Amino acid sequence: MNKYFRELTVAAALGLLMLGLAILAPHFFQFQPFISRLTSQMPALVAAIGIALIIISRQIDISIGSQFSMCAIIAGVTAASGLPLGVAIFAALGAGAMMGALNGVLVAYLGLPSIVVTLATMVTWQEALRLWQQGRLLNLPKGIQWFGLSQPAGQTIVISLAFILLIGAAWAMKNLAAGRFIYATGTDAEAARLAGIDPKRTTFGVFVLMGILAGLAAVFNLVQSPQVQPNCGDGLELKTIAAAVVGGVAISGGRGTLWGVLLGMLLLANVNPALTHFHQPPYWEKAIQGLVILLAVVADGIRSRKARL
Amino acid sequence: MSSSRSFSIKSLLARHETVLVLVILFEVILFQVLGRNFLTGRNFSNVFRHSVEIGLLAVAMTPVILTGGIDLSVGSMMGLCAVLFGMMVNSLGMNPWLAGISAVAFGAMGGGVNALLITRLNLPPLIVTLGTFSLFRGLAEAITKGAESYSGFSPSFLALGNSNIAGLPAQIWVFFIVAAGIWFLVHRTTFGRSFRAIGYASEGARYAGIPVARNTSLAYIIAGAVAGLAAVILVARLGEARANAGIGYELLAITAVVLGGVSIFGGSGTVVGTILGWIALAILNNGLTRISDYKIMDQTVASVARELSGLLTGLLLLTALTIGASTKTLAVRHARKQSLAKPTSNPATS
Amino acid sequence: MKALLQLTDIRKSFGAVRALKGVSFELFPGEVHALLGENGAGKSTLIKVITGAHLPDGGTLVVAGEEVSNLSPSKARELGIACIYQQPALFPDLTVAENIGLRLKKTGVLHRVRWASQRTQAVELLHRIGAEISPDSEVRSLSMPEQQLVEIACALGSGARIVIMDEPTASLTQKEQHLLFKVVRDLRASGVGVVYISHRLEEIFALADRVTVLRDGESVGTNAVESLTEAQMIKLMVGREVSSIYPPSEGEPREVVLSLKNLGCAASGVTGVTLDVRAGEIVGMAGLVGAGRTELARILFGITPADSGEIYLNGERISISNPREAIARGIAYVPEDRRRHGVILEMPIAHNMTMAIHPKFFPGSILRFKAESLLARDFIRDLGIKAYGPEAPGGSLSGGNQQKVSVARWLATKPKLLILDEPTQGVDVGAKSEIHKIIRGLAKEGLAVLMISSDLPEVLGMSDRVAVMRVGKLVELISKENADAHTVMAAALGTNGKDAA
Repeated sequence: MNKYFRELTVAAALGLLMLGLAILAPHFFQFQPFISRLTSQMPALVAAIGIALIIISRQIDISIGSQFSMCAIIAGVTAASGLPLGVAIFAALGAGAMMGALNGVLVAYLGLPSIVVTLATMVTWQEALRLWQQGRLLNLPKGIQWFGLSQPAGQTIVISLAFILLIGAAWAMKNLAAGRFIYATGTDAEAARLAGIDPKRTTFGVFVLMGILAGLAAVFNLVQSPQVQPNCGDGLELKTIAAAVVGGVAISGGRGTLWGVLLGMLLLANVNPALTHFHQPPYWEKAIQGLVILLAVVADGIRSRKARL
Repeated sequence: MSSSRSFSIKSLLARHETVLVLVILFEVILFQVLGRNFLTGRNFSNVFRHSVEIGLLAVAMTPVILTGGIDLSVGSMMGLCAVLFGMMVNSLGMNPWLAGISAVAFGAMGGGVNALLITRLNLPPLIVTLGTFSLFRGLAEAITKGAESYSGFSPSFLALGNSNIAGLPAQIWVFFIVAAGIWFLVHRTTFGRSFRAIGYASEGARYAGIPVARNTSLAYIIAGAVAGLAAVILVARLGEARANAGIGYELLAITAVVLGGVSIFGGSGTVVGTILGWIALAILNNGLTRISDYKIMDQTVASVARELSGLLTGLLLLTALTIGASTKTLAVRHARKQSLAKPTSNPATS
Repeated sequence: MKALLQLTDIRKSFGAVRALKGVSFELFPGEVHALLGENGAGKSTLIKVITGAHLPDGGTLVVAGEEVSNLSPSKARELGIACIYQQPALFPDLTVAENIGLRLKKTGVLHRVRWASQRTQAVELLHRIGAEISPDSEVRSLSMPEQQLVEIACALGSGARIVIMDEPTASLTQKEQHLLFKVVRDLRASGVGVVYISHRLEEIFALADRVTVLRDGESVGTNAVESLTEAQMIKLMVGREVSSIYPPSEGEPREVVLSLKNLGCAASGVTGVTLDVRAGEIVGMAGLVGAGRTELARILFGITPADSGEIYLNGERISISNPREAIARGIAYVPEDRRRHGVILEMPIAHNMTMAIHPKFFPGSILRFKAESLLARDFIRDLGIKAYGPEAPGGSLSGGNQQKVSVARWLATKPKLLILDEPTQGVDVGAKSEIHKIIRGLAKEGLAVLMISSDLPEVLGMSDRVAVMRVGKLVELISKENADAHTVMAAALGTNGKDAA
């Protein structure tokens, strides 16, 4: 079977959805709303890059929604206290790196299952944030929005940065030794060890990277609105895991490309806007998301079953 | 494991259950000293009335985790079953007890979906139940169009959630029956034995002729059915059926199970441990609401009890996991040392 | 000349099992040093110590004159140690070139991978060993021998000074074998030290300069190859005369219990197996690793059900689609991989012993702890299992005793046919002969026994008849009188016997 079969399937599905929209609801493609919609999907795309690396290394991280919220609030508080934007961004990335490092230590060096570790850190950060912020909206200083630029300019920056990051990460996964360490660790940690790769360090590194990307995603989210909510990251883990799985990242590790993740992200992110444009009620979003995840894993399951026989 | 005949202090202390009992005692003393009206019959009734759903989920999650799996969908299943129950009673005019039984059956069917995907297609439980986690909640939201809720249930049904039987909250009796049933299943039948075998080495269990797929399915179906039951009890307590019933409960249930000493890798653990883990969590939640004389971040502890107990739950889970992992490493190291010290002795160190 | 590698008094234990009890070994540049020993003598563990996969509990390891402690796989690689494992440790999802590239040299995380030059290098390496493998195919799609050749290319490419080969010819064809021999000789000529592990004595005579024999985790001597005869080598390995240690067969075989007619399973590559096994008889199954013996056992036990041919049990035609059916019919299978399939290490041995008889032993699915404990005590006594009691976890026992627990589990099912897969692999010599006695005793009691073994002396010593498999087919049935090492190996290898031991 073609190596990129899954990517092509998802691309075809996305194409069909867009075609349907073009025929039935052409106003979906009006320039400004389209760009705005795309911009609002960029934070999730950045986080999805991280989650893809996590899954390729045969781990999972469901704490990224909490990490995202935490980073957003930390950056927001930093900015609100009058410090320059650069400091706020640095604070978000630093906080993300530290939260990722905690997950990484527990998973890589204590050998705990990532699902439970990140479940625990997810609750911890979420509740710590609630305790700290009491659910208040945090007002941001004027200079933060769109990096103090005009909205179109800011949107261009966010979209281009996110895509540069995606292209860079995809290139690195293919062409840097680090990428192969991640694939090798996810395929077979013991074989990786015998090949002289340190699977623990690789796993730790991936979790730290995930934290940093969650922080960056939070920054991309922060600049889009005048306020930030302490629960802004809720559900991000599901959205990104779904995108990765739909995009062909094998949950059993070692397989998948970031291009697939991009396609999966775009397909899932456009389900809800498409529902609205087809004049369908939006309450089905979560159910459809769940169904799509299940369909994707069932497809994988059937495929690997065939491969085994 | 089951029948250890030695009752030395050391072996008693080494048991996870003993440690939990001490933790619970410590909590009770702490909250009695710091809080108001903590050690009262009414408050204790409340502790369990308000957390029995989580207790049910935790007990039913135990067999699943023993098989080395996990079920993230039970909280969403509660939401779906609550909505289906409300719809059956309100829109279809069904008798609430009949509707309750149907809700349990729907729960079992949902568990069956998980089981089918996990055992027949060999998919990882984590991702399957993550998918149904989203799917079940999504269906609940779709049925209620995101906002509607069902209420106006008969008083005789609401009594299940709010009355006492023989001095204890009515739903506690339901919990006793379910917990006793699952305890028996896990500790006294070949099913329980096979859950452990599957959790330790599922291929090994298959080679011993254990019907791995069938028994693993049973664990997920039970978890689903009990989630349906928990939904009915929650609706009876709140008097309202909403799509958001049971949000986040799967985390609390898993926390109780892990705190209770059930290995997240599968194989070892007891139902009693899970129940103690749940009690420790429930008392923590309630105790914090009783502390109004002390402040944290300029707020009385009681007014931020929910957030605080959530935070502490997370930290507790992390600590329990870390301790569990380090003792495992220590045990391995210890065993190695022993076998080195006495190289010619009978190889019977565990 | 300075030694490349010098091991002194290396010790290593796993739980209660002492795999290495003080092994010394040295390797010089430009030398092929054979490591010889029975299954379970400690060869694999020793290799893993040299490659840093296992840390030894004691002893010293000197590489090129410098003492090394805390060796890790990556450090071993830096020191120029490369290993070709029996089971290739490759990444199935990566291509051949990627796999080779991963091993070539240690790179930093941010090191740029030069795909083009790496591919060229992979092509060049594959060409050097004469392997016709496309560098762009995924390793998943390669056959076992092809994967092994990729492993060899990796070792060559990393510029190793010490190359370890763990039974590299186990699954190679003749042509591939000759290629390999040439590669080994080239390595020697370029001053590399080669540690060569093989069961095939003729390979050792053809290739090696010196040979060190391991027995039960100890080195029993290092000699120049030309100073030893084949018989002397075998004696060093086994430590005693081969013929005397196996319990003799007694009595005549009785009625046919198992009868296979043209049995096959496409998925596991077994075709057209026809065989009878009688009550009271031990049929030994010989063949190379991957010849389809374990696969045949898995068909009979319903793990991978047959898709062609017929199975008769006591004259009745049956089909077996899962292990439960097999057990209900009276078929028992003691699997090859004891630690993964045979015994659940964390569970008490009593629980392990009743695991296959749940429906019969626990009516109504309700556990009977007392009866279980009694049953376990009986087996512990009858089979001479060394454990502190029925509650002892399987993992606390030594390999031989674990194997007895695994056998006990299947005896508890009161089977008609007992299939044993490598029953004494990784078992020390004492327990080995005890297990042999148990097996013979069971046959005497009227069980039909099918014993798969790669241990040639064991097959010859234990079997009443020897069935030899090659590439999924049963190629020869040899009676006890005609079975000798030469004929069995010749049948297994598919040669006229010229190259066989």
